[in-house]
Amino acid sequence: MSRLDDELKRALRRAEAPPGFADHVLARVVRENRTRQAAISGWRQFFTRPILRLATAAALSTALVAGGAYYRHAQMEKAQRAEGEAAKQQLMLALRIASTKLHLARSKVNDVSDGNQNRHEKE
Amino acid sequence: MAEPIRAEHSAADNDFEAIVRRHQAMVYSIALRFLAEPAAAEELAQDVFLQLHANLKQLQSDEHLKFWLRKVTAHRCIDFQRRRRLPLLSLDDAPELAAPGQMEDVLLSDRLRELVASLPEKARMVVILRYQEEMGPEEIARALAMPVATVKSHLQRSLAVLREKITRVLGEVSL
Amino acid sequence: MRRIAWFLILLCASVVARTQDLKIPPNIEKLSAKAKETVEVTMDAPMLRWASKFLSADDPEEQKAAKLVANLKGIYVRSYEFDDEGAYSSEDVETLRSQVRGPNWTRVVGVRSQRDGENVDVFFRLENDKMAGIIVIAAERKELTFVNIVGPLEVDQLADLSGEFGIPKLNAREVSKASKGERK
Repeated sequence: MSRLDDELKRALRRAEAPPGFADHVLARVVRENRTRQAAISGWRQFFTRPILRLATAAALSTALVAGGAYYRHAQMEKAQRAEGEAAKQQLMLALRIASTKLHLARSKVNDVSDGNQNRHEKE
Repeated sequence: MAEPIRAEHSAADNDFEAIVRRHQAMVYSIALRFLAEPAAAEELAQDVFLQLHANLKQLQSDEHLKFWLRKVTAHRCIDFQRRRRLPLLSLDDAPELAAPGQMEDVLLSDRLRELVASLPEKARMVVILRYQEEMGPEEIARALAMPVATVKSHLQRSLAVLREKITRVLGEVSL
Repeated sequence: MRRIAWFLILLCASVVARTQDLKIPPNIEKLSAKAKETVEVTMDAPMLRWASKFLSADDPEEQKAAKLVANLKGIYVRSYEFDDEGAYSSEDVETLRSQVRGPNWTRVVGVRSQRDGENVDVFFRLENDKMAGIIVIAAERKELTFVNIVGPLEVDQLADLSGEFGIPKLNAREVSKASKGERK
């Protein structure tokens, strides 16, 4: 055992806990117990009444089933809406392109007509 | 033979108070040496005992209880330190001691505590459990869930650094 | 014997259906590899019905679109925009035009412009003197577009098609007049 070992033991010897430490711990335990007991007794009272227990079980089951079904439906609807929106965008794009090219055709026809008319007028 | 812990409600409460009083210095000291902050150490030690109260029924003997308290305190200290996100130091970065001069024993202890508090988390806890709680490497390894070889390595390296830094300051003092 | 007759009838029906369902030639599809921007829209009747459900009743443009596509059987668009001129050949355009040969097709517009290099063809498909489809082939210097709208279109709707969606209206009477005179 070296002197460093001894010095470390001396330096790291246990310190006394602050005054009233144990009382503080016990007070916290009591406080936490009260809070927990209040919460537990409330629930216990609620669930120990048979009708309420049945009603709660039924409500929970219904809520779970309905919630699951609603979630699936909502997810499906969301996916379908996204696909539908994409299809709509495609449709509008197709119509815009068709429209643009028909307009191009019309302007070309007009150009040719105007050219012919000018030629006839000169003749 | 270790004394079994009674777990009945009222008796357990009485027992619990006795347990707190019996082990408060141990738990508080581990936290204090590790965190080097009395207020933080007290709060952490209280949390450890609250956790103990919730788990009292699972502890079979006083030895088991003591081991449990050391283990939980050590882990809570390391977690607390990590949450504080203080910059970690490597062993080589531990601060040099300040003024040399005439080093009295008290001053030496203060300096050593400062040096220990500046060690990296796991090495620091290994040193505290070894020298404060006088636990063997195997017991420390179980408490900190690390291999015995790692505990020994932390100890050797920490001691080497502490010795070097202390000697550099004291010069003539042989450690 | 009756089975063979039914088979022949079904075969004929299928051939007729396929002639209406124009194919995009492979050499045109390959142009997308060279194109800077490619638009490919393929919407058959069920797809059009599906997309129509999402057209907004509050948006006038989308309402026009809903009326327009209500009786259509399909809309097919291929549009390629290139960085440089000459990215597609005249043979490519000719393969597109060759798709619309036949007694039911009438070319109502055919413009060849040497000046700006823009060639546009508009074909109508007529069945019992009613329009049953329209094809537009626009070959510009850096852009090649093929539009195939399958299904009945009223003249007013055609006017809407060329007048809505942000561009001026096509003169419906001009087109109607042209369709009477240029049946191929």
